Amino acid sequence: MRGFLPFAAGAALALAAGWAGFPYFIYKSQPQPVDFSHKVHIEKAGAKCDDCHALRGDGTYAGLPSLDKCTSCHAAPMGTTAAEKRFIDQYVTPNREPVWHSYARQPENVFFSHAAHIKLAGLKCEQCHGAEGASTGLRAYQQDRISGYSRDVLPVAGWRRARGMRMDDCIACHRQHRVENSCMDCHQ
Amino acid sequence: MGTTRRDLFKLLGGSAVGALFTPAPWRLITDTALWSENWPGIPRPGSGEIRMRYTNCSLCPAGCAMRARCVGDQPVSLAGVKGHPLSHGALCPWGIAAHQLPYHPARLRRGPVERAAAAAADAIALCGAREHVAVLDLRPGRTASWTYRRAMAAVPHGLYIATPQAEWAFDLAAARTVLSLGAPLADGWGTPGNVFAARNTFRLIQADPVETRTAGFADAWLPIRPGSASALASAVAGEIPIAEAARQTGLAADHIRGLIAELHDNGPSLVLARNMSPEAMRANVALGAPGHTIVGRRETPVPEAWRKSAPVTMLDAVPDGSIRVLFIDESAPGDYFPWSAIAPKLANDSLVIAFAWTNEGYGRHAQFTLPAPVFTETLDDLPPAVDAVTAVFRLTLPLIAPQAVVVKPLEFIARLAGLPSDEALHERANAIHKTARGHVFTPGDGATTPLKSLSADNFWKALHQGACWLDAPCQGACRDLVLAGQEPLRPATQAGLPLALVAGDSTGPPLSSPLTSKLYRESNLRQPANRVALAPETARASGVASGARAILETVAARLPVTVAVDPGLPPDVVRVAGRAARALGARGKVVPA
Repeated sequence: MRGFLPFAAGAALALAAGWAGFPYFIYKSQPQPVDFSHKVHIEKAGAKCDDCHALRGDGTYAGLPSLDKCTSCHAAPMGTTAAEKRFIDQYVTPNREPVWHSYARQPENVFFSHAAHIKLAGLKCEQCHGAEGASTGLRAYQQDRISGYSRDVLPVAGWRRARGMRMDDCIACHRQHRVENSCMDCHQ
Repeated sequence: MGTTRRDLFKLLGGSAVGALFTPAPWRLITDTALWSENWPGIPRPGSGEIRMRYTNCSLCPAGCAMRARCVGDQPVSLAGVKGHPLSHGALCPWGIAAHQLPYHPARLRRGPVERAAAAAADAIALCGAREHVAVLDLRPGRTASWTYRRAMAAVPHGLYIATPQAEWAFDLAAARTVLSLGAPLADGWGTPGNVFAARNTFRLIQADPVETRTAGFADAWLPIRPGSASALASAVAGEIPIAEAARQTGLAADHIRGLIAELHDNGPSLVLARNMSPEAMRANVALGAPGHTIVGRRETPVPEAWRKSAPVTMLDAVPDGSIRVLFIDESAPGDYFPWSAIAPKLANDSLVIAFAWTNEGYGRHAQFTLPAPVFTETLDDLPPAVDAVTAVFRLTLPLIAPQAVVVKPLEFIARLAGLPSDEALHERANAIHKTARGHVFTPGDGATTPLKSLSADNFWKALHQGACWLDAPCQGACRDLVLAGQEPLRPATQAGLPLALVAGDSTGPPLSSPLTSKLYRESNLRQPANRVALAPETARASGVASGARAILETVAARLPVTVAVDPGLPPDVVRVAGRAARALGARGKVVPA
């Protein structure tokens, strides 16, 4: 029994490091430039997702909003929060674009059509992006130190399969909904 | 009871086993694989705004419309343009991968431009009274072609050599029965999208010695003897007895009789051939095709001042030994002239300058081969394809900056002749606009607008956004068609050459994307120009085996080739790549190298 102890200790250490330490160390955290509250904008200002994350006229997705979109309302402070004041001082007044970190950014070889999924398939934003719209602040962006992928795209697998935005996740969803797909749909 | 080395190994062993039950090692494998995709030196598309740009493909004379998805200024994928009146949204494999063409490793990236210009100027100055300066244009009808003609009018003894453009076109959509005498309708003939859009409206009868891709795609395949297509056409024209056609083609007389009856009864009919021979044209006249399935087509308008330019001279009409300086524009692929037909026309001490994408074409014979811009780098216009029923005007637009030290053949030749070249396209667009005829299709919104409702500036802007001008249908005088076919370049019967040449796959542009080069040429998925195919018994009789190096001898050339053995071929036949078939002649011989 005593002879088994070092082996068990090593296994326990590795399990602890692998399950608790590794998911922590593999990502580096980067704060978002602005402490933005989706909840305030949705509940108090009555904004909808596509007010800021819109499709262009030709159906392509415009991505994260630029400063112009923010200044259309926040040219001057609308409230009294410190976050808004910082945002105006640091970005609106000097006319400096905030460098947002996109949680869902895909690698360059992936083409994803938001229009096809929203308009044709009728998906809700939450189905892929989670309850981001209810958040009171932006969580830190976590980037894989080796591959450079976002944690939202490539999460560390757990006992239960973590849901991310990998090709496997796309295919699983397409299979679940019996939607055909081919390589060229995404890798154009 | 201290810690022993054995305990340490046990600890490490336990750690290794424990680690296997964590996500760490598996995730590190994935991460390392992803990291390896981002090593320095691996090309990475730039980031930027994603937008669509429109252009027209210039890889072949079809000129299909293209929608380029660009990230920043970099095209990352190409697709057809839905609803386009000429290409109907389709794009061939070469076109789909064409945005990779500028990065092909076999591309010519630099050349002695200054030395070539100096040598050309010297040679032109020394040109004798009976010697010519000539431009060989493989794709006539472009604005660049007209600039060449003007340049050749400006230099002493200038000649513009090209195949004259037909004043008619094939209207597949109007045909109910099509007899194809080896024309590769499903394999690069005309505009692929137009052929497939019209395919369900006509019955296709393919007469081919071998079961080609088009034969497999046809409603009926007539396996005729090699070299007997003209006899079948003559029988359709009523010029030879059916029994004689049956003897030559190997088809039953009743079969030919039934075919002729079908062509007359299920009209309008059309007879097509890989190279439209006079017999095929006469068959069309006999079937009443002119005005129905063969329609008149005006020339795309040009400014009146351009009419005072050098006429189109056919290569055969050029006196032997008379060309002192020859420019070959290979940057717009089109007609193929075998070097064996060009070489006799050159004078002693002649100077040949080729503008090409690679060193593999006419560059092998030229003193100077200069790198020309490839598709996605060049601004040019595209003449109508054989199945465009009206005149057209559309541009192939530069989507990226040249990826090599290129020289534009148009500018090079125009500068030697002291002509401006930058405004030629704009001048031609203005000449078209003055006619106020036809419509403009704009790919961005799929709209068709009468030309007369656009200002000249807006027309020019629309052309730069991938628009296509289509002339009004030809009325009156241009319905009186003069239909003349192309005589074969070589006589049909050639002694000592036991094998009949049959045309195989279309070989595509001289240089395609690295992907299609790999698939179609290096992997031999399509028959390349340096490969011939023989039936097993023919290969044995010729003393060659599959994969062997051999020599293909014809009256036109003696080519080193690689042999492929294809049991699907009839005996006494050698299959060559489609583009070279007409130039090589009707018969040949394969001997071991």
